[in-house]
Amino acid sequence: MKRTVEFTVNGDAYRLDIEPNRRLIDVLRDDLGLTGTKEGCSIGVCGACTVTVNGEMVSSCLMLAVNAQGAEIVTIEGLAQGDRLHPLQQAFIEYGGFQCGICTPGQIMAAKALLDHNPHPTREEVVEWMTGNLCRCTGYYKIIDSIMAVVEGKVARAQEATT
Amino acid sequence: MTVVIPQQQEFNTRREFEVVGTRVRRLDGFEKVTGTGKYVADIYLPGMLVGKVLRSPYPHARILRIDTSRARKVPGVRAVVTADDTPKRYWGAFIKDQPVLAIDKVRYVGEEVAAVAAMSEEAAEEALALIEVEYEPLPAYFDPDDALAEGAVLIHEDKPNNIALVIDVERGNVDEAFQNSDLVVEDTFKSHLQWQAPIETIGSVAEYNGGKLTVYMNTQTLFMARHRMAWALNMREGDIRIIQPWVGGGFGGKSCDDNNAMICALLAMKTGRPVKLINTREEEFLAGSRPRVPMKIWCRIGFKRDGTITAKHIDVIAENGAYSGKAPAITGVAALRHDTLYKYTTVKTRARLVYTNRIPTGAFRGFGNPSAEWAVEQVLDMGAHALGIDPLEIIKKNAAEPGYVSPHGNRVTSCELKQCAEMVERMMDWKTLRANKKPYRGIAVGATVHVSGKRHFGDYDGGSAVIKVNEDGKAMIWCGEGEIGQGPTTALCQIAAEELGVPFEDVEISRADTDLTTYCHGAYASRLTYIAGNAVRNAAHNMKQMILEIAAEMLEAAPEDLEIKQGRIYVKGAPEGKSTTVREVAHARLFRRGGKPLVASGDFDPDSVLQDATRYGNESGAYNFAVHAAEVEVDPETGQVKVLQYCAASDCGTVIFPTGAEGQVEGAVAQGLGYTLSESLLWDDGKPVNPNFSDYRIPTAGDMPPLKREFADSYEPTGPFGAKGLGELSMDPFAAVIGNAVFDACGVRIKQLPITAEKVYWALRGRERQSSAEPGVDES
Repeated sequence: MKRTVEFTVNGDAYRLDIEPNRRLIDVLRDDLGLTGTKEGCSIGVCGACTVTVNGEMVSSCLMLAVNAQGAEIVTIEGLAQGDRLHPLQQAFIEYGGFQCGICTPGQIMAAKALLDHNPHPTREEVVEWMTGNLCRCTGYYKIIDSIMAVVEGKVARAQEATT
Repeated sequence: MTVVIPQQQEFNTRREFEVVGTRVRRLDGFEKVTGTGKYVADIYLPGMLVGKVLRSPYPHARILRIDTSRARKVPGVRAVVTADDTPKRYWGAFIKDQPVLAIDKVRYVGEEVAAVAAMSEEAAEEALALIEVEYEPLPAYFDPDDALAEGAVLIHEDKPNNIALVIDVERGNVDEAFQNSDLVVEDTFKSHLQWQAPIETIGSVAEYNGGKLTVYMNTQTLFMARHRMAWALNMREGDIRIIQPWVGGGFGGKSCDDNNAMICALLAMKTGRPVKLINTREEEFLAGSRPRVPMKIWCRIGFKRDGTITAKHIDVIAENGAYSGKAPAITGVAALRHDTLYKYTTVKTRARLVYTNRIPTGAFRGFGNPSAEWAVEQVLDMGAHALGIDPLEIIKKNAAEPGYVSPHGNRVTSCELKQCAEMVERMMDWKTLRANKKPYRGIAVGATVHVSGKRHFGDYDGGSAVIKVNEDGKAMIWCGEGEIGQGPTTALCQIAAEELGVPFEDVEISRADTDLTTYCHGAYASRLTYIAGNAVRNAAHNMKQMILEIAAEMLEAAPEDLEIKQGRIYVKGAPEGKSTTVREVAHARLFRRGGKPLVASGDFDPDSVLQDATRYGNESGAYNFAVHAAEVEVDPETGQVKVLQYCAASDCGTVIFPTGAEGQVEGAVAQGLGYTLSESLLWDDGKPVNPNFSDYRIPTAGDMPPLKREFADSYEPTGPFGAKGLGELSMDPFAAVIGNAVFDACGVRIKQLPITAEKVYWALRGRERQSSAEPGVDES
């Protein structure tokens, strides 16, 4: 039997009637049209479906949507403001942090969860944190470079230089 | 926006370009970092049904009966299809041996037997469970040696001895050459299945209206997909439209040798409703992308005392799996390609491609090269050690050069193989490390050659493109080659901008769509930068002539006296004089009585040759080369191999898009690392027991070794602004380099991939105890 659940996604409030066995990723993608969250492995290993729930990094393929009652959810669609990109998004473009792009929303959401908690991690800490997000294209070098560019303030400086 | 990236390497020092070689902003960046880009799973059409596939639980069995009557009665089910709903045509890239849905027989676990389209996933699953199939199991073979054995049951009744293909080639007399050699070394090496494992599985969305079938599919070869679908479903190509959404990685696995889109199309035609069919991760391992062809390769190489290679003889047994796909061409590459790398003329090759009852094998970055090099580059290393010569010197001494023609007729134009060897020597500080050998640490090298496009789908390996210049002066390239993540569309726009003389921002490129673009083979054989790059450059050249003729009227000058730079047109050498712009020309040409749009096309077919019956013929327009070096450490207690550093020197001609080129090397190194050390499935009676990302371990960020990668100063005379292919090159030698380095570190040579800690551990113990204890792990 469906249950009524209320939560926000990217600041927008929702009240939804949801079957209790439905995963958060399916509700985000199928019901809300937020297809930026991707499904790669369905068992919480690849990180492509990473979102944040109350600021914590979550694999949305492992979470039931009804368990998000009252939560503040952020997906990849919540980062840019119109054409103005989040520094991590900017960095992934400038430093070649993506190729096919299918894992990229998850990579960026995972990196955001890290930097929100710890704005100045070392490169080793970034690598350790990002091991939960698989990428088959890049070999990770440029993903880590992209995140470190934000940590080191290179992207913010680039934005200032052009605004 | 300013791009503030330190130039780690200066590119193209011998030539000057405006756009080529610069770190432009990738065209697909915004959509991919914001999650707005639509991949096939992100397509939702009104009334769309969910497709699901019933798969064979048996590796080899006769189908005695299929009853779908109960499945059809499940509420919400709109169609249930079996082979009886298809034209029952066998299809395949080179050997037409694969049905869309199993006909009378199944040949591997996971093979498609029936499919359902339903209103919901639950209804589809329920219907699948109600389809009754009665099987009569047959003897099954999971190793080519067993399938070849006398008396083995035939997997395909028309393929005697379960052999799909035989290659038998001898140039010169190898026996004589070996007799005249100072040293002859030989050994046998085995390689295993490796899945492309892009994070996006194969999937399709199909709809059918008024006789026209439209398929959104994440393919890397749209027109080939259309051709094969037209054959298998008995339709005209023109009645099928393939649209490529963003593609979440391919690496060969999305080059249309599987049945996903065929079945999705069938369900859409049967129901008249849009249908979505996306492989689960498990399905992807069972029957999705066609994994790398496992090979058993015996290799013998002769040497002179000074390290000169005298002759090579190899025998390849390649595992085809249940159906052929691209494995015939891959077997050919493994058998012959390596002979374009070093200058020996005497060579003998025998290769057999053998059917088994496992997933059909196929195209994966490297296309036979990594498996062949796993054997050949290790035998070369064995020779170097036996002769007491630095393996790097063996590469330098025998390296192909510009002008070299291989024993099989491959003609090398540009070649910086020696430069690459010198680069890794410097990057790795090779001589110092070699002189200061530490216990359980080892260093090693390996080299490779790859093609820039390969002529093997008939006598055409060309490409074509159309460019229009809009009334605002912005150019649009129509191109059907597509983008699967490697960044060729960005490189093609750079090439067009360079040729046209306009800023990079003034060029864009269409998405790939078989209805809207001219024929293109697509992304394989490292061909896009070279083949499509030349086609786009030629289209841009023709466009430029058109623009200059109109500008000449406007400026009252001869077209040949004009030049275009940054979109401005003026008399050569007189940028301060009278001028116009591309925008003004486009506007003037269109908005007048009898006006016309600016449209030009271009094409390119390289100067290569379709190999003859003896496999002789220059297979590609240009060849790419690389030398890699690694330093590893082996833990004597556990057998664990750690890659301490990796160096890659690549000769891909002119680097068009540096960020993309670096990414190709880096990504291939990661896939090489997985192939060599960690990626394998365990098998039980023809069934993979752990087809998931938790057990099939692709490398994570934490696994990657420190990497140095540089590009040789190189210029390919037949390439667009000197460029040639790169995408597969860095995958090729990785396994062999690590195998060689493990030997250098601890004196044991692992002969079957992957190099697991367990194998090294036992090999070390075996050496110490003089026993040959090998664990009974069924790995591949």
